[in-house]
Amino acid sequence: MPSDKAADRPITDPEGSTIALSSANAGRAGARTEIAFEGAPVPARIGESLASALAGAGHLVTRNTARGSERGVFCGMGVCRDCLVDIGERRNIRACMTRVEPGMVVIRAGGESPPRQPTNGSTFRQLDSVQVDHPDVFVIGAGPAGLSAALSARLAGARVLLADERAKPGGQYFKQSSAGAPIDAQQEEGRRLIDRAIEAGVEIWSDTLVWGGFEPLDFAVNRAGGILVVRPRTAVYAGGAYEKPWPVPGWTLPGVMTTGAAQTMWRSDRRVAGKRILIAGNGPLNLQLASELIAGGAEVVAVVESAPPPRSFMNAARMALNAPGLVVQGLRYLASCRRAGVPVYYASHVGEIAQTASGLKVQVAGAQERSLVADIVCLGYGFLPSNELLRAMGARCSYDSGAGHAVVERNGECETSIAGLFAIGDCTGLNGARVALAEGTLAGEAAARHAGFSTSGTHSVRKASASLRRHRRFQKALWSVYWPSVKTAPTSDDTIICRCEEVSRGAVLSALEEGYRAAGSIKQRTRLGMGHCQGRYCGTILSALLEHRGHQVDDQSGFAPRFPVKPIPIGCLALDPAE
Amino acid sequence: MAKHLPRKAEVVVVGGGVVGLSIAGFLAEGGREVVLLDAGGPAGSTANAGSLHVQMQSRFLRMYPEQVPALESGLHLYPKAVDFWHDLERKLNADFGMKMTGGLMVAETEDQLDFLRRKAARERALGLDSEILERSDLDRVAPYIGPAVIGAELCANEGKLNPLQANAAIRGWAQSCGVAIHDGVHVAALSPQGSGFIVETGGGKVHADQVVIAAAYGSRTLLEPFGYELAIEAEPLHVNITERAAPFIGHLVQHAERPITLKQFASGHVVIGGGWPANLGSERGFPTVELASIIGNATLAQHIVPTVSNLHIIRTWAGVNTPTDGKGILGPVEGVPGLFAAIPGDAGYTLGPLCASLVAECVLGKKPAEDIGPYSPARFRTPAAARPKADAHLSAL
Ligand SMILES: Cc1cc2nc3c(=O)[nH]c(=O)nc-3n(C[C@H](O)[C@H](O)[C@H](O)COP(=O)(O)OP(=O)(O)OC[C@H]3O[C@@H](n4cnc5c(N)ncnc54)[C@H](O)[C@@H]3O)c2cc1C
Ligand SMILES: Cc1cc2nc3c(=O)[nH]c(=O)nc-3n(C[C@H](O)[C@H](O)[C@H](O)COP(=O)(O)OP(=O)(O)OC[C@H]3O[C@@H](n4cnc5c(N)ncnc54)[C@H](O)[C@@H]3O)c2cc1C
Ligand code: FES
Repeated sequence: MPSDKAADRPITDPEGSTIALSSANAGRAGARTEIAFEGAPVPARIGESLASALAGAGHLVTRNTARGSERGVFCGMGVCRDCLVDIGERRNIRACMTRVEPGMVVIRAGGESPPRQPTNGSTFRQLDSVQVDHPDVFVIGAGPAGLSAALSARLAGARVLLADERAKPGGQYFKQSSAGAPIDAQQEEGRRLIDRAIEAGVEIWSDTLVWGGFEPLDFAVNRAGGILVVRPRTAVYAGGAYEKPWPVPGWTLPGVMTTGAAQTMWRSDRRVAGKRILIAGNGPLNLQLASELIAGGAEVVAVVESAPPPRSFMNAARMALNAPGLVVQGLRYLASCRRAGVPVYYASHVGEIAQTASGLKVQVAGAQERSLVADIVCLGYGFLPSNELLRAMGARCSYDSGAGHAVVERNGECETSIAGLFAIGDCTGLNGARVALAEGTLAGEAAARHAGFSTSGTHSVRKASASLRRHRRFQKALWSVYWPSVKTAPTSDDTIICRCEEVSRGAVLSALEEGYRAAGSIKQRTRLGMGHCQGRYCGTILSALLEHRGHQVDDQSGFAPRFPVKPIPIGCLALDPAE
Repeated sequence: MAKHLPRKAEVVVVGGGVVGLSIAGFLAEGGREVVLLDAGGPAGSTANAGSLHVQMQSRFLRMYPEQVPALESGLHLYPKAVDFWHDLERKLNADFGMKMTGGLMVAETEDQLDFLRRKAARERALGLDSEILERSDLDRVAPYIGPAVIGAELCANEGKLNPLQANAAIRGWAQSCGVAIHDGVHVAALSPQGSGFIVETGGGKVHADQVVIAAAYGSRTLLEPFGYELAIEAEPLHVNITERAAPFIGHLVQHAERPITLKQFASGHVVIGGGWPANLGSERGFPTVELASIIGNATLAQHIVPTVSNLHIIRTWAGVNTPTDGKGILGPVEGVPGLFAAIPGDAGYTLGPLCASLVAECVLGKKPAEDIGPYSPARFRTPAAARPKADAHLSAL
């Protein structure tokens, strides 16, 4: 129902929002409704993610690839685009980033369905007619890092705009419930931070994608079905992280998703995608999800952890010393698995997944070799920083070969090599929510200062510095406890390593044989990394492959990140935001 | 890829774009021992839009009216170049993703349509298959063209191909013919020695009996010491690419007055380019895109073909084009025996393989299949004393 009335509000995926539904249609969040999927009715709740509603009704297949393979929700956070569906006249919309509205008519995205005639105009327009907003400080990403940066800059007197692609502020750690009230202390803490930011006068733009950054400090922003430019004095990028790929045979099957995707369905929408759930990976998030799902009554088949059982007393003690609360929480997760009789297999990993009549058959390799069957397989093998925007803007990076990704260089104030552009939180390395919060407080103040506001090393800044030191120590100790026994997935030659373009490891090896070396030329030869996720998963797999074969890998050897950092519909470029 | 730079080679080809790769292949087929050196810089061949251009592009007619005679004098080469692509695809037994759909140049006003009428008449006189379509014809042959368009010129000789597929196939063929390809080797200078040349590179010196300069924008500095000042430029250009869609755009589409090329590859992606500017970005070593070009280029596309407004742009990039004075720079470098130039000129990807074969024939001492006299580098010869300095940003590339 396209419309151009000013009162209308956008409802959905900022990448796909050429549509605005009339506010008269918008019901109460959490209220029951019905949508259509592939011609059949699906019960849903207003405001939950479309991915959650579909999964809750057992629809795990959301799209067909160009080669006809079935795909479903994988990342659950708008990165992989395997959840693409067509909604009404709009094609290739991410189900995981789209909120349910009554009466939605949804079909699987075919990858190649013909586009339909547009209903809004098709005008030619040039950059000089695009609206420009001039905040003092522009914060990108409303997770713990961005929220605290926005608050801190606002308290210093700056006009602060905070943009986030998601439907609600909170990011990953402070992800809010779609129905309204917080479900636990973690959401409650987030709710309070969001409220403080709003009360202080931070302008929060949800459903807003920042897809480009251009000199000197111009950001291209899609919002409410249109485009605008944000031209701040200073900017803070707090884009967070996404989950590392674990490219084993079968990792593209519907029902195989990241731990974060299952967690988001549960924490935001109280949905579980299937009956029997297997959680595998590396790090504390997997145990947290297991314990939350157990509490919710789901059947957790097992937790498969690639680190050996925790035993280093020194590291555990160091963690306890720096963040006793977090250690107690970790022990609590473990205890709840034990109570529910959920086995935790240490020093083990997922070696292969196959679709069988009885469910997904998972081959567990490593110390506790065995075969298990589940409906849903969660893979949580660590994180990669979402630093594409920074890299595409030309911020200087170095390559962390241990972690397998580029790291943005920053000075003591979290400023990047681009003057006035700060970077904080998990997009700079995986340091967790506490570090993100502390860096936000410090960088928010610095960004305000660089924007011309006088700040005076307030109490909260001193507190943040201390907290930052403590939690960086905690994270170091945490990751030495969680040091995995295997670091890369056991791929075979026919394993798909580029999900979007369906490029196998074998195809990449042949390109290497032919003499192609640079990531860019391998990309051109094989189409690896040319798809809609822009190489976010296969880029790191390729780097690991090259390194494994003795090639030099550095911050220049990955794919060059390109604008738009996430796909944008052409139609949006001709329109102003609908407010 | 060959590992160590040899100390000697019969022929060194500088530049590994479509022209350098093709020449190297033809020379190896002709029995020469060929070493190809490529700096790995931004190349038009790896970043172009895959249009097979034949009709005169309105962009050049508008930007450089003084070059129209040069453009017209070389026009006959374009349909031949397209045929040459077909022959090459057959000869290599490869799939370049070629499609001969014809090319439309659309008009929104009577003035524009008149301009196209005059252009088509001249092109017909020069041997092209060009005709004018009224709106009712368009509804029949190109229903995807939007209502703003009142008519168009259709040039039947035009089409498209997928440069990624073509480059890979040509490279593989050259290697199989015995060409030693060295990537990441920048040629700093050429100097005569005895009857041959010393090719100075970052990785050492190579002695060559003959040298072919197919280095596009990089050719100018290499030829300067020999008393040549080429009228070429490094021109960074913008391209948008969309997600896949079922086939719905048949032709190669251009506009009579605004810069755009628009086509859909066999893979389903729609490629939108046509001359919107980008930054040379010399500090970063590769060209970068501009927001103005993303917006202007993509909304112009949806203005002409409204259905693209529903497609997502998944990627943009910038490549370096090498415009000349309106025609190619091909053949022996007068006064320097053993040295050859191969710079194709406008729509250089289309012209690439044909130009390469013409220059290869010269190198092999044969008479080229076309008279390349009009494209001789001689027109850029300067008195050595009046030699200007290299352009700063060109040498930075
Ligand atoms: C799926 C997932 C679940 C997680 N769950 C937990 C957990 O339960 N407990 C825990 O301790 N840690 C969790 N983590 C780790 C988590 O990354 C950090 O602990 C913490 O959330 C980091 O905070 P942040 O502010 O740096 O980033 P995030 O919280 O990730 O916030 C980043 C925000 O930036 C937005 N964004 C990014 N790019 C753009 C753009 N271009 N335009 C607009 N908006 C943009 C995103 O939408 C997101 O909301 C999780 C991570 C992921 C990926
Ligand atoms: C964005 C864009 C879109 C285009 N679209 C089309 C189109 O649709 N159709 C069409 O016909 N044409 C198109 N063109 C033009 C076309 O791509 C070029 O004219 C053509 O590719 C030139 O081929 P080339 O081999 O001469 O040079 P290039 O492909 O540019 O290759 C030159 C090579 O020389 C190397 N080099 C340079 N200096 C040195 C040195 N000193 N030492 C060693 N190596 C060196 C570089 O690394 C580079 O690899 C487009 C160009 C651009 C930029
Ligand atoms: S599951 Fe929606 S984008 Fe990955």
